[in-house]
Amino acid sequence: MAISNQESGFRTQEFVLNMGPQHPSTHGVYRAILTMDGEYVVDVENVVGYLHRGMEKIAEDRTYTQFIPYTDRMDYLAGILNNWGFVMTVEKAMGIEVPERAEYIRVITGELQRIASHLVMVASMALDLNGYTPWMYAFYDREKILDLFEMICGSRLTTSFMRVGGVPNDIPEGFIPKLEKFLAELPGRADDFDNVITGNEIFVGRTKGVGVLDAEAALSFGLTGPNLRASGVNFDLRKAQPYSVYDRFDFEVPLGENGDSFDRYNLRMLEIRQSARIIRQALDTIPEGDIMAKVPKVLKVPKGETYCHIEGSKGLLGFYLVSDGGTKPYRLHLHSPSFVNLGAYPKMAKGTVLQDAIASLASIDIVLGEVDR
Amino acid sequence: MNGQGLIKGLSVTIKHFFSPKITELYPEVKPKLPESVKADFDLDREKCIACGICANACPNKVITIETEKDENNKRRLKRYEMNMQYCLFCGLCAESCPTKAIITKQNFELAAYSRENTKRLLYQADKAPASETEPGAKE
Repeated sequence: MAISNQESGFRTQEFVLNMGPQHPSTHGVYRAILTMDGEYVVDVENVVGYLHRGMEKIAEDRTYTQFIPYTDRMDYLAGILNNWGFVMTVEKAMGIEVPERAEYIRVITGELQRIASHLVMVASMALDLNGYTPWMYAFYDREKILDLFEMICGSRLTTSFMRVGGVPNDIPEGFIPKLEKFLAELPGRADDFDNVITGNEIFVGRTKGVGVLDAEAALSFGLTGPNLRASGVNFDLRKAQPYSVYDRFDFEVPLGENGDSFDRYNLRMLEIRQSARIIRQALDTIPEGDIMAKVPKVLKVPKGETYCHIEGSKGLLGFYLVSDGGTKPYRLHLHSPSFVNLGAYPKMAKGTVLQDAIASLASIDIVLGEVDR
Repeated sequence: MNGQGLIKGLSVTIKHFFSPKITELYPEVKPKLPESVKADFDLDREKCIACGICANACPNKVITIETEKDENNKRRLKRYEMNMQYCLFCGLCAESCPTKAIITKQNFELAAYSRENTKRLLYQADKAPASETEPGAKE
């Protein structure tokens, strides 16, 4: 580390700086103990657990259906994707075949949720770099998605939309025209974001080459999702092991080149467009039919272990379910992408100045509800 | 060229500055929520058969049901209370009800001044219907 003071014979001391747990840029209640040498970050220690609610233990005392509302509260920016991961695990364990129409509705709402989640990332990253305007613009678009969710799920944030065997509500009247309108507007809005954020010299200057993580390092930290793809590793579960009906849609997996904060941001912008493409195709080909499979009223999962994961908005979202044959899980482990991704933060932040450390943290896109669960 | 991006960004903000305003004038203008929204609950006392399935379906034990036997030895509802401070608004109670006696409402203004006021007495046998006492209305 180059510290000019020491070269001129001036001695400086390291000091400890607590970032968080109530710091606005930590996106919740995350705390990083930074050891600083002047403006430079020498060491970072992650401190998590402030939002721990014991979800895994709660699951042991809830029936399978009753646990669905709790999954909303893990990654609260992508409730539907959490619901999906959980019900898919139970469906896999019970061997339930989900009706096609339900799968399509899941894809449409799931991809909408992915767009909403990425919009928050884009917005909050701009906000962390002192850009207030894009925050407002992105939240305006997210609001439209939440309005759509309100129509179909009855809630905006804590959706509880999926059920084991399908979805509880069919597409309501007026939903599709509203969604079409949103899809028609989205490319223009995304271009607006590009003009406001991506092309902005200050933003580029503060993110390019900051928090670089090459493919090897990203893999060694076990990063998944957009953060891994930003480092140039082509791994998207929707393509690699297509679940649900993702094998029927034509979409690309955007990849980053340098694995820096800018790539991680830009990848989200590209993914928003790809998600819109998937929704477009799903809307065009959605079949008629049932939205719920024949499922017993009382769910009993056969004895055994199941692991199932989906491509969440932040990475691989996995559920490991151990059942003793009863109506409640014997053990449920939640593998949350944010928690794993946060592990790479000290490596990104070490040796950079404090401002760059903030940019790196914003680019990982953590949600503390999921880190601590 | 340096500064071009900034000018581009400014042109977007200027465009938005002259576009129609989108601010909702809440609370002067109340938003009209879709019918699927489950923000508040009510009980259709005629339909309720006091089976207790809703209380069992609830993940957070929000619902308390007291029943009594009438002269024909039939189960009858005595008291129905929802402790809204623990409600997750998942709607599993309304979904599980075999007679669809739980009605979801779109009234989302449930703030109350005290914890006691968050309890919603939806039915009590020897009292007047309690749903007129809106939460947080008094005190």
